[in-house]
Amino acid sequence: MYDLFFQKFREKVPLSVEEEQQIKSYLTPKKLRKRQYLLQEGDICKTLAFVEKGALREYSVDNGSEHIIQFAVEGWTISDLFSFLTGEPAIYNIDALEDSELILITRTAHEELLQTQPKYETYNRVLITSAYVALQRRLTASISLSIEERYTNFTTMYPDIAQRVPQHMIASYLGLTPETLSRARKKMTTRK
Amino acid sequence: MNTKQTIAVIGATGNMGAGIARNLSKGNYRLLLCANNQEKLQALVQDIRRHNAAADIEAVDCTVEASWEADSIIVAVPYPAEKEVADKIRKVANQKSVISISNPLNAAYNGLTTAPDTSAAEELQKLLPNSKVVKAFNTVFAADFATPVLDGKQVDSFIAGNNPEALQTVAELVSAAGLNPVIAGDLSVSRTLENMTVLLIQLSMKYNYNWLAGWKVLHH
Ligand SMILES: NC(=O)c1ccc[n+]([C@@H]2O[C@H](COP(=O)([O-])OP(=O)(O)OC[C@H]3O[C@@H](n4cnc5c(N)ncnc54)[C@H](OP(=O)(O)O)[C@@H]3O)[C@@H](O)[C@H]2O)c1
Repeated sequence: MYDLFFQKFREKVPLSVEEEQQIKSYLTPKKLRKRQYLLQEGDICKTLAFVEKGALREYSVDNGSEHIIQFAVEGWTISDLFSFLTGEPAIYNIDALEDSELILITRTAHEELLQTQPKYETYNRVLITSAYVALQRRLTASISLSIEERYTNFTTMYPDIAQRVPQHMIASYLGLTPETLSRARKKMTTRK
Repeated sequence: MNTKQTIAVIGATGNMGAGIARNLSKGNYRLLLCANNQEKLQALVQDIRRHNAAADIEAVDCTVEASWEADSIIVAVPYPAEKEVADKIRKVANQKSVISISNPLNAAYNGLTTAPDTSAAEELQKLLPNSKVVKAFNTVFAADFATPVLDGKQVDSFIAGNNPEALQTVAELVSAAGLNPVIAGDLSVSRTLENMTVLLIQLSMKYNYNWLAGWKVLHH
């Protein structure tokens, strides 16, 4: 139930058995079925969610169209971080693309762990730092790369996601209409 | 809240479990219903769907699976069965709200089997140390779910627990079940709440309330 969570944790910060037990006591195991929401826009994001199994997406909606800002598959963490940290209403929706098994961390659990477990703090620093780097890369890609480059970039960086997620969602993630992505992919295959 | 919460009801075919499930099925909840007798459970699910086609309910054959998927868990079994249920759900109920509705009545219905310095809810909390046990629904009768307004007044349902967020979550559940939630205090207040039901039962028998009665605090 917590295998992958602690495997990923240990890759960043080694843990003793006692430390693992202490952290475990703060975690909420939770299942989510395909198409169910973990969070809906306007609600307060009450938890961080680590994906043990399955796939989720996070997106905003304006004028009926969805803009995917993140996918999360096994080993990833997903939340509306601003809402989680401030208690302000979320501007994103998070739902399950497949039946999923999650490990949730509530705000209270998060705060208590940060205060009582230095290794949890280190783990979070590493997590947030790499998420920040990934975000910078993504921003650079979306403002400076061509459509083809953006797509290739995404499929090479995240081959597992590219295979599991429908094309129209990848298009949304890359800020493209499905038609534009489809044309670009056709061009790429004929070029080869 | 827009995001649908998932609630597991363990012992859903009982008088209380079925009453709670019927009423909650009308709210923004997804219900996972569990019981020993699968035939009775299927009949209940079909009956709820007949009355409310939009109900998001499912019979789940495994208490552990349902509790794993749930955000909150209602333990609607007789008090003596709670240890067995707690042993099953302990791992998957970690950090979740677990609702204790039981009254550990003696055979004569004139007292409780628990010692005076504890309660069914506190005993359940000891069995589930990492869960947020909340006492609720124990001060109402099962028939009150079909008739939550008596003599023109909405029946009060008292709530006790130690975690403020869990109390809030359960207050919303109680309200969705048609009752008036009154947060009474920390989990040790369950001792009073469980004894209030002993009195209500005694009065019910003495004055023939026909098991349709409830508490209401009158205030200005
Ligand atoms: N009745 C009331 O008006 C009232 C009022 C307030 C509080 N309560 C409390 O509510 C609880 C339920 O009372 P009730 O009157 O609804 O009882 P009930 O009608 O006898 O129902 C008990 C339920 O628990 C299930 N169950 C029994 N043993 C179990 C076990 N070991 N594991 C899993 N499920 C088990 C039963 O399923 P199967 O039938 O499939 O075995 C049934 O669904 C009790 O704790 C009681 O103190 C009752």
